[in-house]
Amino acid sequence: MSHTVPNQYRSEAARTLRDLPKVRTSVTSATDNFNHNRLRAYGEIDTDRWRNWARDVKTHTLTNLDHYLEQAEKSLTANGVHVHWANTSADALAAIREVVSEHDLKSVVKGKSMLSEELGVNAYLEELGVHVREADLGEYIIQLLGEPPSHIVGPAIHKSLEDCQQLFHEKFGTPLDGDPDTLAQAAREALRAEFLAADLGITGGNFLAADTGTLALIENEGNIRLSTSLPRVHVAFVGIEKIVPRLEDLAGFVQLTTRAATGQPIGNYISLIQGPQHRDEVDGPEEVHVVFVDNGRTNLLADEEAWEALRCVRCGACLNICPVYRQTGGHPYGWAYSGPIGAIIAPGILGLKEAMPLPYASSLCGACTDVCPVRIPIPELLLHWRERAVEEGLAPKTEELGLRAYTALAEHPQLFSIGGSLLRKLPWQRGGRALPVLSGWTQERDAPDPSSRSFQSMWKDGIK
Amino acid sequence: MEGRDQVSARQQILDRVRAALKDRQATELPGPFQAWRPEQPADTPVDGFALLLEAAGGEVVRQPNIDAAAAWLTEFTTNFDTATVGKTVPSKLVPGLESSPPEIAPLGVSMASSAIAETGSLMMNARDGRRSQLLAPTHVVFVHARDVYATFHEALSKARDDLPSAIGLHSGPSKSADIGQVMVKGVHGPARLIAVVIGDD
Repeated sequence: MSHTVPNQYRSEAARTLRDLPKVRTSVTSATDNFNHNRLRAYGEIDTDRWRNWARDVKTHTLTNLDHYLEQAEKSLTANGVHVHWANTSADALAAIREVVSEHDLKSVVKGKSMLSEELGVNAYLEELGVHVREADLGEYIIQLLGEPPSHIVGPAIHKSLEDCQQLFHEKFGTPLDGDPDTLAQAAREALRAEFLAADLGITGGNFLAADTGTLALIENEGNIRLSTSLPRVHVAFVGIEKIVPRLEDLAGFVQLTTRAATGQPIGNYISLIQGPQHRDEVDGPEEVHVVFVDNGRTNLLADEEAWEALRCVRCGACLNICPVYRQTGGHPYGWAYSGPIGAIIAPGILGLKEAMPLPYASSLCGACTDVCPVRIPIPELLLHWRERAVEEGLAPKTEELGLRAYTALAEHPQLFSIGGSLLRKLPWQRGGRALPVLSGWTQERDAPDPSSRSFQSMWKDGIK
Repeated sequence: MEGRDQVSARQQILDRVRAALKDRQATELPGPFQAWRPEQPADTPVDGFALLLEAAGGEVVRQPNIDAAAAWLTEFTTNFDTATVGKTVPSKLVPGLESSPPEIAPLGVSMASSAIAETGSLMMNARDGRRSQLLAPTHVVFVHARDVYATFHEALSKARDDLPSAIGLHSGPSKSADIGQVMVKGVHGPARLIAVVIGDD
């Protein structure tokens, strides 16, 4: 499939539902698993205390971010790590170009990194003639298919076993009914050769402890450990909001993130990276680079409400629980971060106009905020961006007109009552869908018949 | 490399952060994370470690002392031709097999610097060698019972003063559910992880 932009959300969501019914089946089944496991994992701990602690550490760090960024830079530099700063994706790509050309690097293995998706690292390096291989199994599958990730944690959850069997049959000649173990073994062999040949490893960063300069990475497959251990150079792209103050804070954040993401007490592999190979060590990269990326994050930080979204640890729990995301998976959202969290950070990173209509891709049910490990008030922030969209003339005109008409009616009780009785008399099932304002609503939803009596009259009689 | 553009990008980012925070109330840093939970899953750190690692698909062997662990290893390695061995593995625990490069070895033998009960993790130190911890399909890791800490927080506190270039926490075999949401083992790292906990007898 082609890569789309958020502005195409409505048509892409409709297209997915209409033309790709298997996507909904796969995404629903995968997110059901994630939800089931998260529920169990949250049940084993005093979740409220964990989440309050994590929220408060992140809030403290963000309200002192300049201090912690400088401290992290100092620690990293003392550890022998090269630190780069990137205002924009262009700056970040320029940083990696410098590293690639200085060392004449030819072949990359990558750990799964949503930030690198946001920056467009793969396409850029391929233009430079560098071979890029996604090494996370899910990322590898969608790289072979030429698709973007559909989920922050499970990039290929929209693909069924049959989809993978077909792909691996074409790619490796595995049987069309090959079981997942056979397929994984074929991928292991192909990717092992690439790990051993690669001269550059690229990763993101889940967290970075300011006091020791420790970069923390969470995974289950071992591809990140390999990407940060075998190639002679390692480059990590790290969003400026990823910092935590103390090394020991990683204990809480790593555990909470994996419990929220997959329901595991911890990922099977956690990398805690201080820097390049020490003199008393037998292997490891000769050079480590950390690229601190802003790319719109300071826009979010400056917003009096939306800055709370910067606490996000990218666990994907809000996607898994979201009744809107679960219908289509991530592709219709048109950029790296889908679901509820994607909708509230897109306006900061892409710009509000470019992010439209993502803040509307929600029923505001609030399930996302109930599961969020850092208690981001997602529905409030969706409403915040909707208000901003109205202010900036980006919201659908019908919404503005409708709200104005409602305001006028609500200020005049008699008009309100007359208007209400008129609406109750409309032939909803037949004609309601044709009303200009409501057709947008009813094309995706049923319009039930209204009650025969108004709330006011029921209230007067005492509601039964 | 860190030329004028870099200096200015750094300054621009810090300036924007400071401008954004100008009227924002700074909050206090909370105390340490404490693994709050209604009940502890096990009575002792070694029991907790074994419970969690086994739940994640790892295997746990307990031996009373280093000689017993060495005897177990001799028995275990009869099915292997060669092995790759970590640099910090004590000589008694180096298997009597021909040594082979990590890239082709069927077995990796490592020494963990510590372990964590709370998460069922082995703390692997880069000083032991990273390739020998990652490339072989079967991985045997020794850890002393006295080095099994109750919490991740405690293990990090102890590690803080002598950090290597990298620490890897291994808490189960390499696994993935990316193919049709079916769990498979041994995707990139070892498919089998065996922790041998050595007592102090």
